[in-house]
Amino acid sequence: MSALIELAGVGKDYVTTAEVVRALDHVDLSIEPGEFVAIVGTSGSGKSTLMNILGCLDRPTRGVYRLAGVDVTERSADERAVVRNRLIGFVFQGFNLLPRTTAIQNVELPLLYRGIPARDRLLRAAEALVQVGLAERLHHTPQQLSGGQQQRVAIARALVTRPPLLLADEPTGNLDTRTSSEIMALLQELSGEHGQTIVLVTHEPDIAACARRVITVRDGRIVGDVRNETVRDARAELAALTEAPA
Amino acid sequence: MRLGAFWSTLRLALAAVWAQKLRSLLTGLGILIGVAAVVIVTALGAGARHSIESQIDNLGTNLLYVFSQPVAKSGARVNVQQGLTDGDAEAIRREATAVERVTVWSQVKAQVSSEYGNTKTEVMGADGHYLTVRGFRIETGRAYNAHEERSRAKVVLIGQTAKQNLFGAVDPVGRTLRIGRHPYQVIGTLAPKGQSPWEDQDDRIVMPIDSFRTRVSPAPHGRVHLIMATAKTAAHSEEARRQIEAILRQRHGIAEGEDADFIVRTQESWRQRQSEILNIVTLLLVTVAGIALFVGGVGVMNIMLVSVTERTREIGIRMAIGARRQDIQLQFLAEAIVLTLLGGLGGLLLSAGAIWALESALGWPMRLSAGAVALAMATSGGVGLVFGYLPAHRAAGLDPIEALRQE
Repeated sequence: MSALIELAGVGKDYVTTAEVVRALDHVDLSIEPGEFVAIVGTSGSGKSTLMNILGCLDRPTRGVYRLAGVDVTERSADERAVVRNRLIGFVFQGFNLLPRTTAIQNVELPLLYRGIPARDRLLRAAEALVQVGLAERLHHTPQQLSGGQQQRVAIARALVTRPPLLLADEPTGNLDTRTSSEIMALLQELSGEHGQTIVLVTHEPDIAACARRVITVRDGRIVGDVRNETVRDARAELAALTEAPA
Repeated sequence: MRLGAFWSTLRLALAAVWAQKLRSLLTGLGILIGVAAVVIVTALGAGARHSIESQIDNLGTNLLYVFSQPVAKSGARVNVQQGLTDGDAEAIRREATAVERVTVWSQVKAQVSSEYGNTKTEVMGADGHYLTVRGFRIETGRAYNAHEERSRAKVVLIGQTAKQNLFGAVDPVGRTLRIGRHPYQVIGTLAPKGQSPWEDQDDRIVMPIDSFRTRVSPAPHGRVHLIMATAKTAAHSEEARRQIEAILRQRHGIAEGEDADFIVRTQESWRQRQSEILNIVTLLLVTVAGIALFVGGVGVMNIMLVSVTERTREIGIRMAIGARRQDIQLQFLAEAIVLTLLGGLGGLLLSAGAIWALESALGWPMRLSAGAVALAMATSGGVGLVFGYLPAHRAAGLDPIEALRQE
C-alpha cells in the first residue's frame, strides 16, 4: 500500500457533561501522494475534527490512522509533535504567524524544532520564502505585510521542512477574492509543478473547485468523494482579472 | 543540550524579555532587591566576622583566661573565700606542662590625675609576665623590674589612651600621676594595641601587683582577679585548659563533678562563642533577605503565568509546527531564568555600590567575597528555575487545538 493517508473506521467522540457528541463516525479515506484534495462541509459538519485528526493535532476515538505508512493512531503528544514536524506542513485561516517576528524567523521555526543548525535554517527559510515570491520581504514582521503576503509566509513555513503532506485549513478565509486567487494559484502551482500532496479544508465551493478531488463531510460522515472534472484554474483567472478593465 | 540549541533558546528568551521591557524591569526589580539584600547582609556578616576575629587575635596568642566565680551552695550563691591567688598561678607555672607563660592581675576602674588633667581609667596591678602574655610592647621608657615588684614601688606604665587623657602631647616618662592619695612615677609607655572585643586596650595604667594590692585596692595577700596563661602552641590549648582545671580543682579542694569556683576559657572558645553569635545574627538577616527574594520569585511566577495566558496562541502555533512539550517547557523556563539572572546581575551591581558607599561613608567593615557573588547568581538562577517551573509546566501542558483557537 502506497497511500499517504489512510483512515479506516475512524470516529471521534467529544464527551460533554450532558452527552457524548459523535463528531466523526466510520470515516474511511485514502489519499495518494501528489493528490490535491478539498474537504468541504458546513460548519459543524465534522470537517474541522477530521482536519485535526489528519494533522495529528488530535487522536481518533476509534479506528486507525496511518500517515506515510506509519500508524499514528495511539501516539503520545510528544510523538505526534515529531510527526507534525516531519510529515505535515500547516496553513491556517488566521495565518498564525508569530507577531514581532520577521518572516524568515517565522519560517525557520519548524527547522529549529528539528534541531537544524542556525546557518542551514536561515538558508532553507530564505529559499522557501523565495519560492512563494517573498524574496524582498525576508525581514518584515507580519504587521508590515498584507494578508496575502502573511499567508505566503505561512505557506513558506509549511513547506520549509519539505513535508509529504500540506494541510490547509480555510487558507483563504481571511482574504479578499483577488488575494484568494493568488493563494490558490500558488497552491495549484505547488501541486502541479512539485507534486506536493495538499489537503484543503474549506466551506467555499469555488475554493474547493481548485482541487482535483472533492470530499464532502456532513454530520460526521463522508457523504461524497468525487473527482473534480472541471478544475478551476486560479492562475488563468488571476490573469483575466488583471487584464480586465477596472 | 547541544550548543546551538542552547544559543537559540537563550536568544529566544532574551527576545521575549526584551519584548516586554517595562514588565521585565518591574519583575526583575523584585529579584534585584532580594539579591542585593542577601549580598549586602552577607558582606556585612563577613566584615563583622573579620573585624571580631582580628580583635580576638589582638588579645594575644593561644591565651587561656582563668576567672573566679561564685559557686552555688545549698541553693544560695555564696562567694567562697578562696578566689584566685598568686599561689594558684605559681602552681600552674610549675605543674602545667602544656602552659608556656602565666601571669596574674587585678584591676579596678579609678580616677587618675596628673598636673595636666585627670581621667577615669583602668588601673591594673600585674606581675612581670603580664606584658609578654598579653602581647604589650614598651614604646618609651622601660618596664618595672623584679626589685620594684618586690618593694611595692610606686611606678606605673601608661597606655596610649590614658596617656593622651592625662598628659596630652607631653612625654609622660619621668612625670608623676596620682591615684587616690598616692603619687606614682611613670616609667614607660605602652605601644598602641587597639580595640579588643570588650575594651580599649590602650586605656590603662599598669603597676606591680603588690603596689596595687597595698595602695589602690586592698585585698588579702596573694589574691588576684585573673590568671592568664599562654599555651605552648594552639594545639596545646585544650590540654593546657584541662591541666589548669585539674591543678586548681586540687588546690581549691573541689571534687570532680562539683561546681568549681573558677572558669577556664581559651581564646579559641571566645572565638567560637563570638562566631556562634555572629552566625545567629547572620542567619536571621539572611532569612529576612531570603524572604525578599522569595517574594521576588513569586512575582516572577505571577508574571510568567500571565505571559503564558497571553501567549497561548503562540504556544499553539509552536506546537502545531512540531514543538514538543519539553521544547515549550524549556522556552518558558529559560525566559524565567533569564529574567531572574538579569535581576540578580542588577542586584549584584546595586549591592557592590551599596557596599562601597557604606564602607566609605560610614566606615563599616564589609567583605564582598567571590563566593557570595557566585551564590547570589546561583540563587537568582535557582529562583527562576523554581518559580518558572509551574508556568512553564502549564504552558507545556496546553492542548494545541485549544491553544490555536485562543484569540
